[in-house]
Amino acid sequence: MSFEDAIRLTEILLGFAFVQQSIEYLRGIDTLFSNFRYLFIARLLFSVLLIVGFQPAWILLLLVLIGLVMLHRFQGPYNGGSDRMSLLVLCSLCLVHFVPSLYWKEIAFGYLALQLVLSYFISGWVKVINPDWRSGRALCDVFQFSAYPVSESLRAWSNKPRLLFTLSWGVILFELLFPFSLLSVTSLYVALVIAAGFHFANACLFGLNRFFWIWLAAYPAILWFQFRIMSIT
Amino acid sequence: MLFFNTLKLLLPALIPSWNFFDVIAPSPRIEYTLLNSENEMIAEWKEFRPRPERLSFIQVLYRLFWNPRWNETLFMVSCAERILQNPTQNQDSENEILNRITSELSEEGLNKSLTAATHIQFRLLTIQRQDEQLIHEVNFISRNQILPGNILTPGNDV
Repeated sequence: MSFEDAIRLTEILLGFAFVQQSIEYLRGIDTLFSNFRYLFIARLLFSVLLIVGFQPAWILLLLVLIGLVMLHRFQGPYNGGSDRMSLLVLCSLCLVHFVPSLYWKEIAFGYLALQLVLSYFISGWVKVINPDWRSGRALCDVFQFSAYPVSESLRAWSNKPRLLFTLSWGVILFELLFPFSLLSVTSLYVALVIAAGFHFANACLFGLNRFFWIWLAAYPAILWFQFRIMSIT
Repeated sequence: MLFFNTLKLLLPALIPSWNFFDVIAPSPRIEYTLLNSENEMIAEWKEFRPRPERLSFIQVLYRLFWNPRWNETLFMVSCAERILQNPTQNQDSENEILNRITSELSEEGLNKSLTAATHIQFRLLTIQRQDEQLIHEVNFISRNQILPGNILTPGNDV
């Protein structure tokens, strides 16, 4: 994937993710914090402009500013990792538009690709060094008493230790092996399809819908990154 | 000061730790009670937003696109975790939770038997596993907050 195509596709996917988030925010604050309603309306409008490609550099800068106001408003990210990834994608794209040379543009966008790889690898690493994850106990705890399962019926999964052991190791191995998918075009596409399926499962089981959309938005960066590395070697 | 505070909030996004679910920490639940006077003895705690018994696949798919209530609930869990980490210095998080419970009650409209309530309070119950047992423990009780006038009368916003 060419650099220009990857940037444009990332902008479009980020725009869609922000539209979805912004509409949800507007619903969530309908009786509270009415001044912030205008902030989210602006965010929604800028996200649409980003999708259509209108002045993307300045729109991205405005979205970064709104992101900073939101960080202050919620004293951190509203939705943990998904908001952090949102800011990371946003800041990387913004830098791409404002740094002076192609070299630094590629560094900024490459950093996003690197963080995407790390998001899987480090998640796998912190699990594999934890005995509770290796035994399947940690995933059992997630279903049994954590705040994440979206319905009570899902708590019954905690009574299926063999299934959870298998799922735990499936997740750990996939996350740890993800960097190796960069070795070929086919393996990267397969890995990204599996990764999207993983985020889809998390959205279904734990209600983490924003993770699904924002991680998809970062995928063009790694597709370009692989293309760039292969063109060097 | 604003600059350093912004940097403190932004840096974890620019240099993320990515340690999702590294340990399964004690999980907070938010329970609230409505009081008819400031000093009334608490009779009953109710779980805030208990999760549904089950969801159909269609509902799950729908939530992939539209899930504001659940995302707000997860934000409240984050607020609860901040309070548990530092109970004396997280008044903002306490306010977030109190305001959102109050707003929800006003939206739901309201059980008429509760119209006499004048104050609201919440507590944080943590659940964790010790060996094979689940331990429930109350770790925080919020201040009493006066309910806005007639909050429990349908049609009135906070």
